[in-house]
Amino acid sequence: MLPFTYAVRNLFRDPARLLQTVGGAALVVFLLMAATALNEGMSGVLSASGSPKNVILMGKGSEESIERSEVHLEVESIAATSVRGIKSVFGQSAVSGEINYMAPIKTASGSVEQSILRGVREESLLVHETVRLLEGRFPSPGEVMVGSLAHRNLGVKEDDLAIGKEIFFGDIPFKIAGRFTAPGTVLESEIWFDRNDLATVTQRSSLSSVILRMDDAEFDDVQIFTLQRNDLELAAIREDTYYDKLSAFYAPIQTMTWLTAGLVAAGAVFGGLNTLYAAFASRIKELATLQSIGFSRVAIFISLVQESLLATLTGTLLALLLSLVILDGRTVPFSIGTFRLVLSPLVIFTGLFVGILLGTLGILPPAWRTLAPSLPKALRST
Amino acid sequence: MISPFINIANLTKTYKKGKTSITPLENLSLEVPKGEFLALMGPSGSGKTTLLNLIAGIDSPSDGVLEIDGNDIRGLTRARLTKWRSSHVGYIFQLYHLIPILTAYENVELPLLLDNMSKRERKNRIDAALDLVGLSDRAHHRPTELSGGQEQRVAIARAIVHDPGLLVADEPTGDLDRESADSILNLLDSLANDHGKTIVMVTHDPKAASAAHRTLHLEKGVLIKSES
Ligand SMILES: Nc1ncnc2c1ncn2[C@@H]1O[C@H](COP(=O)(O)OP(=O)(O)OP(=O)(O)O)[C@@H](O)[C@H]1O
Ligand SMILES: [Mg+2]
Repeated sequence: MLPFTYAVRNLFRDPARLLQTVGGAALVVFLLMAATALNEGMSGVLSASGSPKNVILMGKGSEESIERSEVHLEVESIAATSVRGIKSVFGQSAVSGEINYMAPIKTASGSVEQSILRGVREESLLVHETVRLLEGRFPSPGEVMVGSLAHRNLGVKEDDLAIGKEIFFGDIPFKIAGRFTAPGTVLESEIWFDRNDLATVTQRSSLSSVILRMDDAEFDDVQIFTLQRNDLELAAIREDTYYDKLSAFYAPIQTMTWLTAGLVAAGAVFGGLNTLYAAFASRIKELATLQSIGFSRVAIFISLVQESLLATLTGTLLALLLSLVILDGRTVPFSIGTFRLVLSPLVIFTGLFVGILLGTLGILPPAWRTLAPSLPKALRST
Repeated sequence: MISPFINIANLTKTYKKGKTSITPLENLSLEVPKGEFLALMGPSGSGKTTLLNLIAGIDSPSDGVLEIDGNDIRGLTRARLTKWRSSHVGYIFQLYHLIPILTAYENVELPLLLDNMSKRERKNRIDAALDLVGLSDRAHHRPTELSGGQEQRVAIARAIVHDPGLLVADEPTGDLDRESADSILNLLDSLANDHGKTIVMVTHDPKAASAAHRTLHLEKGVLIKSES
């Protein structure tokens, strides 16, 4: 076996190359960790947003777009009395007729941004169990409450959505009366209005959806209700299924994320391979000398692996630190919500895995090219 | 009759490259007794390095007999040859081939790392080898901090530290001035005479060859003349 110090000293032989290898490895590892975190964050927020206990009633034929769906106002009360086994709290059925709307919202600072709006009544909280008021109160007419991450989707400072400030729908002002959280769900990015207010400003006379929270009812019970009340033209979908479908809609974006990260990473890997080729090629005679002394090719290969692992793992460590600073906890807005990047075990594992892969598989081609030629030929090379 | 240390009979080496083949050595026979210091001369391309590589187990012959110290090394696999070299051969190159990132001491230590040897024993051996080549005071210098002659002496220390019976040297003085060359030749001479090493040295320099016990001339892969 060659001593470990041989690998270490080889590493520092060419500081420029060392920097390039460590930097390249850090870049590749960081990119793939970022891609993993992004995709995990997006999938996470979508799958956490839907509850298997909730069923959404939408207008038949517009299941694809809740904003376009129209449900008659009366469906709320009809469903509450017709479907058995709906959850009930103090005699109040957990049924929430809501208006879902997307519209530009102006904030106090003057910026205008497309936002996700929801018109609700206080009873709506019975179906959205993750929602908690952080401060203030549920909005009365003329008021709204904002999700704790809504400022990310609006692209404004958190302060612009503080209690007491105003937001504008068109020219109509609404006072912020409350702030709420719904950890890990898309609801956190929404602005919630009094339902009548939103109906008025959007000139709607119908609901977008009615959400039922089931107690011992089954999805089939709701399904049967929609068939029996054919005249209401309703379609039922489980809330978790609804968000799964949204996930599928965003799958191409996730693929793009991977592809982009993968392409840039591949470029960096090829650059790194080139550096290694050059570095090992310049050592071909030296490695041949070690063989002539009696070191086996395996022993030399192990030393080369040690050397490259040292470099790539240093890069990996750098990438981990970088992602701790840059990625961890960062919130990323997308069209229907905001998700949080987390250095989850999967993300960290991805980083380590990529780092080790780079250090081992990455040096196979250059090592092979250096160690494959016959010994007399290698000794003869200049 | 005891068999010679190096026993070569009808040795042939052919390199094939695609359809063409080159035969730098053909039907070569040679016997070298133990403790002899043999010089090999010949024009460029005559097969000197090829022969040296075969004797040192760096390369394998295409045909013929090749025995070193009673061992038939012809049939050995690459791995076994590597192991054999580690204990039986010291190779000295024209351009020293020291590892630039290791000190003189660490360069000399390399062959000993292949044995299970305590650090203490390694140190004793390295000190003795560096002492023999007169470089005890340069033990912790890197090759770049040494002169050519000193580098070659470190290389010789590295070649003898594990006490192999056979030393091969490919133009060991080819890159040195007269004075340094003479001191290297003296060193080789004493390794043969006082330490019983069998030495095969390739050289272009008649003066260097005259330091050896015997000189052989190679031409186009054939030994054409020998003198004592
Ligand atoms: N690996 C190889 N593949 C093909 N041909 C080779 C190989 N090694 C050596 N040769 C050829 O064998 C012949 C002898 O080469 P060798 O190196 O033994 O000559 P030499 O006597 O040492 O020459 P010099 O004095 O220039 O060092 C040359 O023609 C060389 O081109
Ligand atoms: Mg030669």
